[in-house]
Amino acid sequence: MARNKYDVDEDLNQEFNVHAVRRILAYLKPFRRPVTGAVALMVTASFAGLLPPWLIQQALDVALPRHDLGYLILLSFGILVTVLIGSVALYFRIRVMNGIGQNVIHALRTDIFTRLQELPFSYFDSRPHGKILIRVVNYVNSLSDLLSNGLINLIADLFSLAFIVGFMVFLDLRLTLICLTVLPALFAAILLMQRRQRRAYQDLSRKQSNLNAYLHESLAGVKITQSFAREPENESIFRRVGEAWRVSWMKAVGILFATWPIIEILSVLGVALVYVAVVDWFRDAISVGIIVAFVGYIWRFWAPINTIGAFYTSLVQSAAYLERIFETIDEPVGIIDAPLARDVSTVQGEVEFRHVDFSYDTGVPVLEDMNFHVKPGETIALVGATGAGKTTLVNLLSRFYTPSAGTILLDGQPLDTLTLASLRRHVGVMSQDNFLFSGTIADNIRYGKLDATDAQIEAAARSIHAHDFIEKLPDGYATAVSERGLRLSMGQRQLISFARALLADPALLILDEATSSVDTETERLVQKGLAKLLQGRTSFVIAHRLSTIQNADRIFVMEAGRIAETGNHTELLALGGRYARLHGVMV
Amino acid sequence: MFRWFWGFLRRDRYWLVGALVLTVICSALGMVNPMLTGILVDKVILGRDFGLLWPLLGLLIGATVLRMTLRWMFVMTFENSSQRMVKALRESLFTRLQHLDFAYYDRTRTGDLMALMTSDLDMCRHTISWVGYQIFENVLVFIFSVTVLFTIHAGLMAVLLLVTPFIALATFFLAKDVRPQFSKVRAQFSKLNSVVQENIAGNRVVKAFVREQEELRKFRVENDEYRQRNLDAAAVWGKYIPIIEGFSGLLMVIMVLGGGWLILENQMTVGSLVVFTGLVWALTQPLRMSGWLINDLQRFVASLERIYELSRVESSLKPSAHPVALPEGKAKGRFEFRHVDFAYAKEPILSDLSFTVESGQTVGIVGPTGSGKSTLVRLLARFQDPTAGQVLLDGIDLRDWPLERLRPSVGFAMQDVFLFSDTLEGNIVFGNPNATVEEAVAASKQAMAHDFISRLPDGYDTIVGERGIGLSGGQRQRVALARLLLADPPVMVLDDTTSAVDLETEQHLQETMRALHGKKTMFLVAHRISTIAHADLILVLGKGRILQKGRHSDLIQEPGWYRDVHFHQLGLEVGDDHGAQ
Repeated sequence: MARNKYDVDEDLNQEFNVHAVRRILAYLKPFRRPVTGAVALMVTASFAGLLPPWLIQQALDVALPRHDLGYLILLSFGILVTVLIGSVALYFRIRVMNGIGQNVIHALRTDIFTRLQELPFSYFDSRPHGKILIRVVNYVNSLSDLLSNGLINLIADLFSLAFIVGFMVFLDLRLTLICLTVLPALFAAILLMQRRQRRAYQDLSRKQSNLNAYLHESLAGVKITQSFAREPENESIFRRVGEAWRVSWMKAVGILFATWPIIEILSVLGVALVYVAVVDWFRDAISVGIIVAFVGYIWRFWAPINTIGAFYTSLVQSAAYLERIFETIDEPVGIIDAPLARDVSTVQGEVEFRHVDFSYDTGVPVLEDMNFHVKPGETIALVGATGAGKTTLVNLLSRFYTPSAGTILLDGQPLDTLTLASLRRHVGVMSQDNFLFSGTIADNIRYGKLDATDAQIEAAARSIHAHDFIEKLPDGYATAVSERGLRLSMGQRQLISFARALLADPALLILDEATSSVDTETERLVQKGLAKLLQGRTSFVIAHRLSTIQNADRIFVMEAGRIAETGNHTELLALGGRYARLHGVMV
Repeated sequence: MFRWFWGFLRRDRYWLVGALVLTVICSALGMVNPMLTGILVDKVILGRDFGLLWPLLGLLIGATVLRMTLRWMFVMTFENSSQRMVKALRESLFTRLQHLDFAYYDRTRTGDLMALMTSDLDMCRHTISWVGYQIFENVLVFIFSVTVLFTIHAGLMAVLLLVTPFIALATFFLAKDVRPQFSKVRAQFSKLNSVVQENIAGNRVVKAFVREQEELRKFRVENDEYRQRNLDAAAVWGKYIPIIEGFSGLLMVIMVLGGGWLILENQMTVGSLVVFTGLVWALTQPLRMSGWLINDLQRFVASLERIYELSRVESSLKPSAHPVALPEGKAKGRFEFRHVDFAYAKEPILSDLSFTVESGQTVGIVGPTGSGKSTLVRLLARFQDPTAGQVLLDGIDLRDWPLERLRPSVGFAMQDVFLFSDTLEGNIVFGNPNATVEEAVAASKQAMAHDFISRLPDGYDTIVGERGIGLSGGQRQRVALARLLLADPPVMVLDDTTSAVDLETEQHLQETMRALHGKKTMFLVAHRISTIAHADLILVLGKGRILQKGRHSDLIQEPGWYRDVHFHQLGLEVGDDHGAQ
């Protein structure tokens, strides 16, 4: 068995996916005009940038031999103009390209986030949250450079290459042909180095992520490590992971730093070739100005080739990120409104299950032939072992899943004839994690009803007995709660989420182990709040607490996807079956 | 602080000196190419002395190859030294972090430590590998090129020097203005990040209240703001970069005009002008870099200060001043608390706790939240030292136990379970890496974890934790229990370990626990009375004191917290508003 997973490289599939790239180009469509403008600007700028060597040639070959000071001034002025054009173009380029890039990633991020709101929570349960987060934030960010600089630079650089060759031919065809003999070598060298560099950097980024992951876990799990006295072992793993990173780093920079010398040496060879050609073959035919200008163009040749190579590298890398992003955007939502679904306005809270079967994708039945009828205002407790189907049952009620067979009716209406949003507004779900958003306590209660007044919030808190403790907090209802800010106890969080639910005022309430982490101290307090919350609502309660269960109107004892026993506390105890046995555990 | 930092570099000092020497040579060689080109133009092309062509070209190529080779060597030397330095530094910080006490981790955010261990350390690496020699090299190149050009034509050089300060100034302002923009981008990034993170973490609440639109609205605000911050930062670039480029271009204009005029006046050769054009980068480049390098240096000092601060943090757990000879083998597990007080930030958490637990006994600890239950058990493995009084294991004060002997004797399974990104098997054998697969499976069976593990597609090879799949709270608790059972310490502490486990499973787990009675000293922290009813000693804590002490059968006779809670959990209300304490 494999034991250490810190040193296994996370595999970001590096296959180049044309489809993903084509799809991101669609995001550029709304910006067709600015993109065209930017490209035109870049082409103009690169043309202007390539003029000075030719102007210098004119100075050396025409103005100086003829002692024409006027022409020299004119040429200098020409260079000044190219410099100004270059600067202005640069100014617009920075603004326009960043604007486009930022707008595209903004749109892309909105799309992926919107999709996340539609995805069922099984999507969130089946993978660590960090993996979802990194797609929405980091992966999208990593595209910004590719979109803002990469793409437009690529087009401009292709033009640059054409211009350079054009200028060279214009100056002297023969020298151009001689120069071009070095170019294939330059081209090949750059592409080869880029490829090796890309691989090295891919490896490095995996090693980096291993190192960070191990570091993060070591810090987050330091208490476990200390309690098992595993520090020496962890340090040796850490050294190993760090060493792998160092080796990978040295390899990557070794290649990176070799690229420039190779370019420089090849360029010098090209320059030498020009001199040799001039001296040995065209001794009298070529002027000093042309030589100087030519050397100038040779030096400008490598930059566009290098950028094109770099673009390719980042394209391959980003394609992997793009694929992940689109994978989330394409994730099927599963449950959508039926074509003729209508909104429900008021709900009495009558629930009926008729021959309901349910199984997840695996085909293993989770619920089989569920039949029951719940009157408005009834409290139903669901009891049974993990995997008995309790949570699945309540998830069907808010249509987070659809039954594979049978019908669920709310007030006599099949659930699938109602719109999801209106249905869920009437079905309140409280789960084990009393998640509070960062913000004030009032904000968190208001989450149940966004237009609630402060008075309503206080009233809700009062009626579930949360007002007293909130008022004692330093800033009362304005106290900020956050991950690290104020440390509220589990019970206090529970009460706040009760207030939130009360304010939302759903006709049907589902408590999925909502009270399991409450400590004994607050339990009684919570009980009172709970009683208030359940009043006049149909409710389904999944609980471990005997006190919660025994007050229910009816108890469903579930076993392997079926209801094994029903009845109230006294009846079931008298029955002496499964419930009676469970009761023995609880007492 | 700098001396401390130098300690990590010191062993490479000769390499660093050698690399600096190479930097000087390379900077000087950088002057050779433009000068040779000037000679080529004047002597060979214009002077028609063709015999000089090959020697000059040979020199040109030779100098380039030599310069590039030396440059690669010194750059790699700096990289290598910086890597060795950062590795040593990182390991030393890691070791420190591994040994810091719980109190430190209670008040420190993981995110902050991560930032320190990644970006701050990288800033140190960057300084040694790049910033240092860049400053040195740029200063040299600037001095060399100014000298060369002055000897060629002082007047033209002087005019060029008039323009250069503007480049330096613009770079300086750019570096200065861009920094706050970057931190604004970063700040907004973390806001955006936390909105998304909260949305993901709270997805159940969002769906339960049908608040998707509200969430989208919150997200849009931050997403818009993030775009704006980025555009603001780009605007700063857009403001200065064209100016810098413009001034650099202006140098060329001056050169062509001034140089051309001097040639017309016969005060300068064409070759000299070529030297000027060849060296103009050597004038502008150092100036363009200056602002950034100063910026980097400032950031380096700030990073180093944070790192240094961490390196000075001391664990409050000092090694024993009077080590005692401990018997070989595992601890027996007899615990004694003698008048133990514990205070956190002067606020008393535990006061005057005294009790004795014989080896093999089970202790149940109950009480309301904040009564000090978790603090008490933390003292057992010396995660914290008591402020007053003594905790003794097998009659020896915990402070006299070496931590590496004490901690393997006292095993924990906590309510909030942390699993590492590893296979389930790897997590289970965490406390006993030499265990066989069979032993891991046996422990999992005892902890009621085997059934759900074997139902997973990859079974014990399933990767869990941040980089693997998610497990439910109850599943995680059972894995933690298996981890503890496999480590097999003589003392076991279960801090509300079964809170998320369903009733039937808990029943089985209680049987497992009871089977260990007499073999292990057990401390059970629980909310459910039923979990601890069989304990030999039950401690009822309230506000850091022992309110009641005894066996279940005795405690339910006494009026008080224990009896109230017991009957309440049975579903019977006794004396309704009887205070919890």
